[in-house]
Amino acid sequence: MNPWIRLLIYLVAAPVVGGLLAGWDRRISARMQSRQGPPIFQPFYDVLKLVQKENVVVRRSQNYYIFFFLLLAIFTGGLFFGGADLLLVIFALTLAAIFFVLGAYKASSPYSFIGAERELIQMMAYEPMILLTAIGMYMVTKSFAVNEIASHPTLLVLMLPGIFLGFLYTLEIKFRKSPFDLSCSHHAHQELVRGITTEFSGRTLAMIEIAHWYESVFLLGWVYLFFGSLPVLGVAMSLLVFVFIILVDNVFARLKWQTALKSAWLVAAVLGFGNILVLSLLSSKPADPSGSGDAKPVATTRMSAPGGTTPAPGNAPETARRN
Amino acid sequence: MSSFSKSPWIIHYDASSCNGCDIETLACLTPIYDVERLGVINTGNPKHADIFVVTGAVNEQSKAVICNIYHQLPEPKVVVAVGACALSGGIFSECYNISGGVDSVIPVDVYVPGCAARPEAIIDGVVQALGVLEKKQKEMTSLANSLDQALYLRAEKSDAPEILALQKTAYQSEAEIYGDDSLPALQQTLEELQKDFERPEQVFIKTVVNGKIIGSVRGHTVDDTACISRVIVHPYFRGRGIGRRLVEEIEKTFPNAKRFEVKTGHKSERNLFQFRHHGYQEFKTEPFTPAITWVYLQKERK
Repeated sequence: MNPWIRLLIYLVAAPVVGGLLAGWDRRISARMQSRQGPPIFQPFYDVLKLVQKENVVVRRSQNYYIFFFLLLAIFTGGLFFGGADLLLVIFALTLAAIFFVLGAYKASSPYSFIGAERELIQMMAYEPMILLTAIGMYMVTKSFAVNEIASHPTLLVLMLPGIFLGFLYTLEIKFRKSPFDLSCSHHAHQELVRGITTEFSGRTLAMIEIAHWYESVFLLGWVYLFFGSLPVLGVAMSLLVFVFIILVDNVFARLKWQTALKSAWLVAAVLGFGNILVLSLLSSKPADPSGSGDAKPVATTRMSAPGGTTPAPGNAPETARRN
Repeated sequence: MSSFSKSPWIIHYDASSCNGCDIETLACLTPIYDVERLGVINTGNPKHADIFVVTGAVNEQSKAVICNIYHQLPEPKVVVAVGACALSGGIFSECYNISGGVDSVIPVDVYVPGCAARPEAIIDGVVQALGVLEKKQKEMTSLANSLDQALYLRAEKSDAPEILALQKTAYQSEAEIYGDDSLPALQQTLEELQKDFERPEQVFIKTVVNGKIIGSVRGHTVDDTACISRVIVHPYFRGRGIGRRLVEEIEKTFPNAKRFEVKTGHKSERNLFQFRHHGYQEFKTEPFTPAITWVYLQKERK
């Protein structure tokens, strides 16, 4: 499909799908708590109402930051669904989150301050894993371009099981769900008043909601990448992952930020980095039989030496001379 | 039915008394009653809420909190008083520290009786509040749509209560800038304002839309100088040129003045910007409290 058409579909469909997902989320959560729950269109009613409300502002600039947060959240997904570079997508994602944090800092209320600080900690927690995810995908597909990753014939999740699990862990943080709803929570919790969104109201709060819709569609799109070679499985798994996140949200209590940060980095180090280590060992094996040529870098020869391959006779003095 | 009645977000405050109504209000959220099926969210943040649910009688300590939460709620907003104590003070009404029901502090739209009020009654009260909310929203929209028909008139002494209420709403944003409620505009009482109306050199101008005052300004002359003060516009109608028009109108009412003078706080950048836009220039500053420094601006008549 033409990337521009894909982009257009994303721009129009993402808020609808994201809003429905949010409504579905609230409904499923309610059912898990044996309640009836709100109608599935509830997030749309909420946003329509917020647009008509008065916009109480402490400093006018806070609304511009939120506007850029929305713009960059849309831009992130646009890059992703347009098939651009995955690293660029990550940078746009980070920039969007930074604008959100700046907006909260600008509002100068203690609650939004703490919310903003916790949001920064959450970003520190999920960034390494998200970068490792992109690197892992590159190692399998030899490309950072999203459209090439999506059309790659291998089922990425088979090569990247550790990274997939680690990515699930970061999704919990990115969706701001329990046990990682530190900066603000979407449900009837009232800690820190309302965390990072405390000082926003009316249209600005509606913009934050819409940005979240775009973001959740983008994140589930990334889950799809793990199953890119089987599109039907990919869509099914994205939705399944979403239900799983809601389940975890309802089952777990909140963690302290220290635990959140440590555990997220531990997951990134063990699952993410471990997966990449295994991948690099796997991919270096096929190089062994041809490791005798002079043009091969020294490192390859050295690494394969304990593996049992005897270096070609002419190669040994060569190695010695280079050292 | 607009989206307002489908998404009522609530902030709940327990003023004092026995906590019975407090518990019953929270019971509405439980699986048996599940108010979230009506779209209700208990936000805990006044800036996100539409409906202010108050339980319990008002005492000296909770008075300021109630006023604060009420002013932080964005327009349109509705207040629901739940339980006998919130209605009249209930069995506590004759206590030395109780000032009565919630309506002794802020305007109440819906009263839910009961001791304690049953969850069904509370949900019914919230549903009735939705009707009031929709009505208020329509009024606000019609006001906003007829801003071009706004009248700029001399205010009378009978307008004093309405102007004072507007002044307290409008100055909330200033109090937030300085983190200080001691601004003279917020401390003014009705008697003081009424006395101001009796002073012959004092002129008040009001902006009226559909019979409701949404803006006001006052000024008086000292020799050749006209001192303009308290340019107030309702927060919902700011940024639509009402303040600018008010300043123009008050300048017109002093045809003999050679010079105009205003003062504002040093951190009120928006006010400073607006006055500079009008041709005013700073000429002196004066410390008022540790948090506030007055900046005086002046303009010569051309």
